[in-house]
Amino acid sequence: MIDRLTAALERSRADYTEIRVERTWSTAVGFRGRRLESATASEDQGGFVRALATGGGWGVASFTSLDRLDAMVARAVELSRAVRVTPSIRLAEVAPHQADAILDLDGDVRGVPIAEKKRLLEAYNGELLAVSDRVVDTVASYRDEVSEYWYVNSEGTALHELRPEVTLSGTAVARRDGTIEKGLESIGLRRGWNSVQDKAAGFRKAAERAVQLLDAPMVTGAAYPVILDPELAGVFIHEAFGHLSEADFVYENPQAREMMTLGRRFGKPALNVGDNGAAAGLRGTLPFDDEGTPTQDTPLIKEGILVGRLHSRETAATMGERATGNARAISFRHPPIVRMTNTYIANGRGSFDDLIRDVKLGVYACGAFGGQTLLENFSFTAAYGRMIRDGHLAELVKDVVLAGNLFQTLDRIDHIAGDFRWNQMGGGCGKGGQAPLPVTEGAPHVRIEEALVGGDVASRSR
Amino acid sequence: MIERLLELARRRADGGADALWRQVERTSVAFEWGRLKAAGVSEEAGANLRVSHRGRIGVAGTTAVAGTTGVATDDVGAQHAAPLLDRGLASAALGEELDLVFPAQAPLPAVVTFFDRAANASLDDLIGIGRSLLEQLEREGCRVNVTIERETAETRVANSAGAAGAYRSTAIGVSAEVWRIAGDDVLAIGDAFEGADLPSDAALAALVGSVNARLEHALRVVAPPQGALPVVFTPPGLSALLLPVTQALSGKAVLQGISPLAARVGEQVFDSRFSLTDDPLRAGRAASRPLDDECVPSRTTCLVERGVVQRFIYDLETAARARAQSTGHGQRTIFGKPVPGYTNIVLGEGGTLGDVGAQHAAPLQLGGGLLTEIRDGLLVDELIGVGQGNVIGGAFSHPVALAYRVEGGAISGRVKDAAVAGNAYDLWKRVGGFGNDARWAGSRYTPSVLLDGVSVARR
Repeated sequence: MIDRLTAALERSRADYTEIRVERTWSTAVGFRGRRLESATASEDQGGFVRALATGGGWGVASFTSLDRLDAMVARAVELSRAVRVTPSIRLAEVAPHQADAILDLDGDVRGVPIAEKKRLLEAYNGELLAVSDRVVDTVASYRDEVSEYWYVNSEGTALHELRPEVTLSGTAVARRDGTIEKGLESIGLRRGWNSVQDKAAGFRKAAERAVQLLDAPMVTGAAYPVILDPELAGVFIHEAFGHLSEADFVYENPQAREMMTLGRRFGKPALNVGDNGAAAGLRGTLPFDDEGTPTQDTPLIKEGILVGRLHSRETAATMGERATGNARAISFRHPPIVRMTNTYIANGRGSFDDLIRDVKLGVYACGAFGGQTLLENFSFTAAYGRMIRDGHLAELVKDVVLAGNLFQTLDRIDHIAGDFRWNQMGGGCGKGGQAPLPVTEGAPHVRIEEALVGGDVASRSR
Repeated sequence: MIERLLELARRRADGGADALWRQVERTSVAFEWGRLKAAGVSEEAGANLRVSHRGRIGVAGTTAVAGTTGVATDDVGAQHAAPLLDRGLASAALGEELDLVFPAQAPLPAVVTFFDRAANASLDDLIGIGRSLLEQLEREGCRVNVTIERETAETRVANSAGAAGAYRSTAIGVSAEVWRIAGDDVLAIGDAFEGADLPSDAALAALVGSVNARLEHALRVVAPPQGALPVVFTPPGLSALLLPVTQALSGKAVLQGISPLAARVGEQVFDSRFSLTDDPLRAGRAASRPLDDECVPSRTTCLVERGVVQRFIYDLETAARARAQSTGHGQRTIFGKPVPGYTNIVLGEGGTLGDVGAQHAAPLQLGGGLLTEIRDGLLVDELIGVGQGNVIGGAFSHPVALAYRVEGGAISGRVKDAAVAGNAYDLWKRVGGFGNDARWAGSRYTPSVLLDGVSVARR
């Protein structure tokens, strides 16, 4: 395949050309309640060409019929020429690499019959249902894939990879009269069949949580000291800060560049943040990004100060910085854009107890049902919460929605514990119509001096 | 047709089969931060097959459909049909048990889905639309992103009961976003045109007018009000209030026992001026089609009429389980199985739909005439986090992304750091008023709506 792609490159009349080809085998199994909803095996294949002619913009072509390769290379070059760009697009220097990487398949999912995958998920789904007769519905899904990946560019980079991925998720829906609550378990790994065995406990816990929430009061909306558990802290740093550190937001926008000037203080000295696409064994990890740039650990905030950002080759060249290996595409259907990989808040010091000891009244917000950022503003829905009263964990509360302003909230992070962990969840990140992109988030327990917790907003406004 | 595939399936699947074949070509142009940056094309073809065998259902999909010539033809190449069917049957071997009856051929309604002007527009034509928007939207201290996308598609569906349908379609998406960053105040205001045909000059002018009107009012920041207040939701701002309702009206949610509207057909649940319709026959809309992805002819479905719940939407499988009829809402992609999905949702006052079809109502006026009576309240255009959490229950609580304070009957400025909350079902029981500004926002046609007693909190 590499030879075929290299031959196609040679026929390109552009200054720069790259070709990506992917062939993906996947299976998916879904349960809804006790009923198997689907068990399917799919095959997806296609290619992507991107070209830069002299003085031209990006010419892009994607296709599912590989026999169209040469025609699509020509089309991409033609499109690049049709789009005049001044000043012309430049790419940061990246040394050419040749690599053949077989990632750890950890039990190649292609060798496991779909019936066994169904049995596995049926067992986990059964765990959800067995917890209580209050669990009236479940949504459980298993998905795996192995993707064979080829990448070549006209600077001499040629890559071949075999990339595994497996995700498991289960939602338990508990109901009593008109009250409906959910508990969610989600696992996403860049590994194989062996890695998703023995996961029953997490599913049980999710269903138990849903049932417990039926009796939990809604948190009273107010500003509280808030402790984020590692899962929510990870989602927070990804959503509220990570997206701002993606250089395609700032590189051609002078006002945005000013807002994100390196050296600006974003938090207290306890705060250290980074993105590490090379961290071993994580879902957001790959040896190279989709421009052939090696992945790396990129510090973003060091002791509270903004020190770096995430780049593609184009954004790096424009800003006079180095490419960081963050140009990623979810599939051959899309161009690479600046994305996160494994984003983290680095470990601090001390234990969870140290964080809550001096909190008179606060909220311990755990897990994440979702989050959205509109740049400086964000909103996160925690899976559940516990009140903190006089330094101790107290009652379970529900509908814990955190909302705030990014700059204020980052600056109010005053204590970071030393219990860092990566959260290998399923789902993924969405941007520019590309979702879900496999990413990981990691953090220890994090304390925010004061944050607005929604929930029963009505009682707050009376 | 997908005849070869179905012919093979007929011989090996005892309960029959249906299939969808779709070929899509897209052309896109992107202006990034004020300059033309990229142009792209994509070609994609694939087939989705569903078989019924020994009482169980199996599904398989593939994009490996190119014929022996190497060019994707309107059929699944012989060498790909057999493996696809094998996978479908393997899926059925452990698939769900269901007595699925594939519908027979029925007459299809006439709906125009293909517009030559859209299909024939050249790259330069698309670039021209973008440039013109850019020129009209650029202003000091702001940066503009514009994307134009044109899609032409060919869809074929057929089943072993002899039903078949095919249509070509076009779709155009034009979106523009103006960014203004002043210190740490980030403001992004955008709007989009979506349709089956190229936008008219008037539609583009309306898009520009819509962005500019909201931008002008946003330049001044004022303190948010607080309390249980009258709040006007613009058509894009209505998402948080309509999402619970559309989720609850899906036959799938009813079947799962999680729809609060499940047992309420025939009951007055909403304000008597609240009517909701799904209309796949609406002219000029990208979601319109003569039949769904399961060979069921399209028809207009009245979901709520004058506040009374009428019916739920179904695809074939959900209907078979619920012992109901498919309403023609089966949607499927190349991968995965069909699911019930909406096409064009129309919110109308008391069932009179009026002149539905215009992208924007003119004259363009924020709030659609509903602001004049408001002493102190809010106009909400965009919320953060819609769709998160337990949506179907109706309770929502969202920070505002773009909202304006209304004082003495007029907009006094943009508010930041405010959140709105309430319960959609409670709020829809009593509507303060429908605006005169009905328009399409995505695949939804609504006016602005005034709701009383929405909780507004500042932070």
